[in-house]
Amino acid sequence: MSAAILGAAFLLTALVLDLSSGVLALTAGVRRDPLLARVARRAFYAGATGVVGASAVLLYALLSHDFSLAYVVEHSDRSLATPLVAAAFYGGQEGSLLYWALLLSLLGAASLAAAPRLGTRLPAYANAILAGLAGFFLLVLVFVSSPFDVLPIVPGDGLGLTPVLRDGGMLVHPPFLLAGYSSFAVPFSFAMAALWAGEEAAGGEWIRHTRRFALLAWALQSTGLVLGMWWAYHVLGWGGYWGWDPVENVALLPWLVTTAYLHTALVQERAPGQLRAWGFGLVIAAFLLSVFGTFIVRSGVVPSVHTFAVSPLGPWFFGFFLICLAASLVTLARAGRSAPAPQPASPAAVSREGTFLAQNGILLALAAAVLWGVLLPLLSGLTGRQLVVGQDYYERVSAPLFLLLLALLGFGPLLPWQRAGQTWLRTLRWPLAAIMLTLTLLLAAGVRQGTALLTLPLAAAGLATCGLEYARGTLQARRLAGRWPVAFVRLAARNRRRYGAYLAHVGFLVLVIGIAGSHAWQQQQDVQLKPGQSMTLAGHHLTYLGTREEQQGDHTALIARLSAGTAIYEPSRLTYPGLGDQVVSRVAIDSGVLDDVYVVLTGTSAGDGVSLRVFVNPLVSWVWVGASLLVTGMVLGHLSLPLGARQNSPALRPVPARTT
Amino acid sequence: MSVSVRATALLGRWRWLLLGLTVVGLLGYLIYSATGTSAEYYETINEMKAHPSDREARVLGVVQDDVVRSDGGLHIRFTAAEGSSTIPVDYTGTVPDIFRPGIQVVVAGKVGSDGVFHARTLQTKCPSRFSTASPSG
Repeated sequence: MSAAILGAAFLLTALVLDLSSGVLALTAGVRRDPLLARVARRAFYAGATGVVGASAVLLYALLSHDFSLAYVVEHSDRSLATPLVAAAFYGGQEGSLLYWALLLSLLGAASLAAAPRLGTRLPAYANAILAGLAGFFLLVLVFVSSPFDVLPIVPGDGLGLTPVLRDGGMLVHPPFLLAGYSSFAVPFSFAMAALWAGEEAAGGEWIRHTRRFALLAWALQSTGLVLGMWWAYHVLGWGGYWGWDPVENVALLPWLVTTAYLHTALVQERAPGQLRAWGFGLVIAAFLLSVFGTFIVRSGVVPSVHTFAVSPLGPWFFGFFLICLAASLVTLARAGRSAPAPQPASPAAVSREGTFLAQNGILLALAAAVLWGVLLPLLSGLTGRQLVVGQDYYERVSAPLFLLLLALLGFGPLLPWQRAGQTWLRTLRWPLAAIMLTLTLLLAAGVRQGTALLTLPLAAAGLATCGLEYARGTLQARRLAGRWPVAFVRLAARNRRRYGAYLAHVGFLVLVIGIAGSHAWQQQQDVQLKPGQSMTLAGHHLTYLGTREEQQGDHTALIARLSAGTAIYEPSRLTYPGLGDQVVSRVAIDSGVLDDVYVVLTGTSAGDGVSLRVFVNPLVSWVWVGASLLVTGMVLGHLSLPLGARQNSPALRPVPARTT
Repeated sequence: MSVSVRATALLGRWRWLLLGLTVVGLLGYLIYSATGTSAEYYETINEMKAHPSDREARVLGVVQDDVVRSDGGLHIRFTAAEGSSTIPVDYTGTVPDIFRPGIQVVVAGKVGSDGVFHARTLQTKCPSRFSTASPSG
């Protein structure tokens, strides 16, 4: 049987199974029928199996160069390395939709399999929503944009892949971003289901369940964003890693909102009931923004340099977005009317809860500012001439918000829960001292850049606060456990929630230092050199040695060689004769703790001369380290045991920081 | 007693409302002012010619065959076209690898007194997703 028929059959079967699962699950929820709910769940599993089958067929067709499929012809050729051929699975539009449906089905199935403790109604409703969402993608895959369309004539080879995308970074960042987008559907489904079912049915357990999957979505999205930044930095050759392009911005939106939610969930867990509606709203908003982002990327309604995904599917996604938006609004409005949230004693403004709320406010303000920037061309286009905003706008609006966030991070974690007494003021002396010290050092070192003078002292305050908490915890645990390294490890291992959170904060601060440093002190120089000549930029002395040409598979590489002490730089230009002499630059980067030297070969001139653009990018490696710590800390922090289970053991009680 | 409690609660609520409004107002002002200083028109060559102005704009056009590179590849002059209307463009900076005649570019800058569009930035539209669809013309 041909791949086309087999794949299409799998998709159609999955569609039928998902739709039936959705109807059955809805009925089961309304009738509170556990048997029917089980049947519905199994139908969802079977649908997921169908999607896995279709995915396997497409992957096999790609790897076996089955050029009877239009998708295989359009996105691969025989000369491509195997990993790149496999990456074509999610590289094209039809394949990326299938990839999305695949993740949604698998994560949905996992979330349902883990949900039986939540009772009958809530998982049944979540099942119905998940089946509906997966059903939408399958509907599009079956009727509008199928990866299993066949060509009338089977060509001998495919069209291949744009050279700029033939890179390892391209293999990894899109699947993470797509996975992030699709996984926001799971927390959304459970939050909506809890609203439909009346959450008391589930006894609050659903909050943990939802949070786990929100965390997964957050981690996937973070990883995708960071890998995308890494790819842009190492491949695109403009010396930066974030361009505030709409495609990047819309990926940031659900991330910001989910970050806010994950903090709110901590308050919710301590005091169920507090910020409840707020939490629902955030989870729902994160999913809506992820669908909105997909619509923006796919439809091309907003001017972007990334036109890779523009497709006729725009209206479909817009419709999908509108349906999800309407369903969410109706659900939230009905829930708000039928059960007005009990108002627990609201905590004082100056308290840990207060800082969480302020942090949420800042993150949402950032999201609103970014969303406005993305929407401006659309909105202004409706009323007249299209307006766009660039990097300048985003820097202006985000800088003050980031500074507020930093200040909050420096002082917030020291505030006690509920209500700050008189003693907390004294604990603030540490971060304040860190600010004064850093400021003095920077001024003494002759630094006059506003960005650095504002950001770095605040970041130091944050680091001092985190350090203080770690030190206090270690001292506390030491009394019980003996030697301090053991104490520290024990403390961190048992109290993962708390110390994971501080690790995430340290990661964020390192990330901010990296961003501020590379922003404030980047230097750039364009030079033309003959062999033997050298240049100096920011203390780095580069000598140009010469060029050589190499034949590498389907392309020719012109490689320039430069030396700086022991470091050798080989930036190159690759020419693809098979693709109309398309040229791709390969950047040479020497990363250090303090700065990166970043060399781009921009051209050649007579007599073995080269023209180069050289950047010195300070602290960029801090961006990658900080981002990794942030993700690691967040995941560790949120994976820990529920709060109640830990409080019995004396060593694990939250450190009484400000009572003595 | 209960009256005073209710009064305090009411006062508290007003305080939060006031705080919320202040925050939203500040954010609105921040966004408004940043938009005002950095928004640019995004237009085609025809639209730009229909609304000549001193402001910076972003213009979309197709690169013609007359590309002249100098300064080791860091300075280019070319004609951008939209249908039959064209404009000469002058740009200094890193030229994207995929820049070549026939491709769509977005240039940001403004028209100088010499009638040439002096571009501050030049971006190429990615030719396509994962395929080679080489731009024709």
